[in-house]
Amino acid sequence: MKTVKNKAAALSIVVALIGMSVVSRAVAAPPDLDGVWVPDVKDQGRQETANVPPWKPAIVPQIERLAAEEKAGRPFLVLSHCLPHGMPSWMLISHNAFEWLTTPGRITMLGEVDGNRMRRIYTDGRAHPEDPDLTLHGHSIGHWEGDVLVVDTTGIAPQAYIAISEAVGVPNDGDMHIVERFHLEKPNVLDDELEITAPKVLTAIWKTTRIFRRYPDRHYEIIEGECVQEDLVPGKDEYGNDIFVSHPQNPDGSVRTQK
Amino acid sequence: MKHTVSLKIALVAAGLALSWSAAAVAHHSGAAYDMEHQRTMSGTVKSVNWTNPHITFVVESDATDGEPARMWVFEVSSPGVLSRSGWTKRSLQPGDHALFRYAPLRDGSPGGFLLRVKLPNGQDLGFSLMPTDQ
Repeated sequence: MKTVKNKAAALSIVVALIGMSVVSRAVAAPPDLDGVWVPDVKDQGRQETANVPPWKPAIVPQIERLAAEEKAGRPFLVLSHCLPHGMPSWMLISHNAFEWLTTPGRITMLGEVDGNRMRRIYTDGRAHPEDPDLTLHGHSIGHWEGDVLVVDTTGIAPQAYIAISEAVGVPNDGDMHIVERFHLEKPNVLDDELEITAPKVLTAIWKTTRIFRRYPDRHYEIIEGECVQEDLVPGKDEYGNDIFVSHPQNPDGSVRTQK
Repeated sequence: MKHTVSLKIALVAAGLALSWSAAAVAHHSGAAYDMEHQRTMSGTVKSVNWTNPHITFVVESDATDGEPARMWVFEVSSPGVLSRSGWTKRSLQPGDHALFRYAPLRDGSPGGFLLRVKLPNGQDLGFSLMPTDQ
C-alpha cells in the first residue's frame, strides 16, 4: 500500500514537472536580439542575381535600363538624397549597421545614415491605424511566434524604393505590404525573411532573405549620422559661438556632393 | 598577398557605389570606378567631408615633372563603416600629406574611390564593410 502511495506521489511529481516544462516553454522569453547588426553585403550582392523580384512586364524595361546604365558606368542613384532609405530598401541594400532595441511594447531599430533612420515595431498588440499618414518606413506591428518575430508593415509611401542594389530599383508606387520573419539562424546571425507584396510593380509576392551579423566582442556602436556635413563647416557667429556655416565649396576645387 | 586579397574582398563588398559628374561626386554603385586598375598618388588633404552617405576627401596632388598640382576628389565609404574599421573623424585632416591608393574614375576625371591611405608616420588606413575582411 505504501508502495502504491509512493508510486502515485512520484507520478504526480513527474506530471507536475512535465507540466512546468510545457508552461515554461510556452512563456519562454523571446531571443535577445538587442545590439548592433551589420548587414552581410556579400550576400546582398549574391541576391541581386540569385533571386530577382517578379517585376511586372511594364517595369522590366526600367530595370534593364538601370542595369545597363550601371554597367556603362553611369549608375542611377537610388540613394541620391538624404531621405530615409524607406522600406524595404533599408533591409535589402543598406551597407550600414543598425541597432536593435527592445523595450516594453515595442522594438526600435536605429540606423546611422541620416538623422532619422528609425523603424518602430509595436509589439503591444495594437493594430495598424485605419488611415495612416504614409511614411517611408511605414507602420510596423510585430508578434512572436516561438523564436520568430513576425512583423507586418503597411502605410508605406509610394515613393519608397524596392531596390536590389544601390543602382537598380523602382518606387513601389503604392499599396505595398511587407511581412518579415526575424529569427536567429545561429547565435549572432539574424535572418530577415521578407515577403513583399507590391501590386503596382510586382506580379506576385517576392520572397527574399537578408542576413545581419552581430559581433559582441567588437563592441560596435552605430554612430551619429547626418547627411549635410559637407555643406556645412565649423565656424563662428557674431557672438563668437561655435556654429556650422555654409561651406564655400568649389573655389578651391572641392566638391558638392549629389545627395 | 593576404593583405591584397582581403583588400580586394573589401572593395568588392564596398564596391557598388558612387559616380562622378563634372565637379561633383555622387553616391552609390561603384560602376563609375575602375577597380581593376588601381593606382597610387601622393598629395595633401585640402578638405574633409565626413558625412553620409559617403565621405569625400579633397586632395591636392603633388606637382611632378610631368604634371602640375591639381585638385582630386576621393570618395570613400561612410562614417559608420570607417569608424568600425578604426578611423576617427580626425584620422585624415586638412594639411596631412599622404599616399592615396584608389580606383580611378573611368572617365579620367581627377578623382577616384579611395581604398587605402598611408601617412608619413607609417600609419596605414584601410576599411572593410564586414569585420571578417579586416
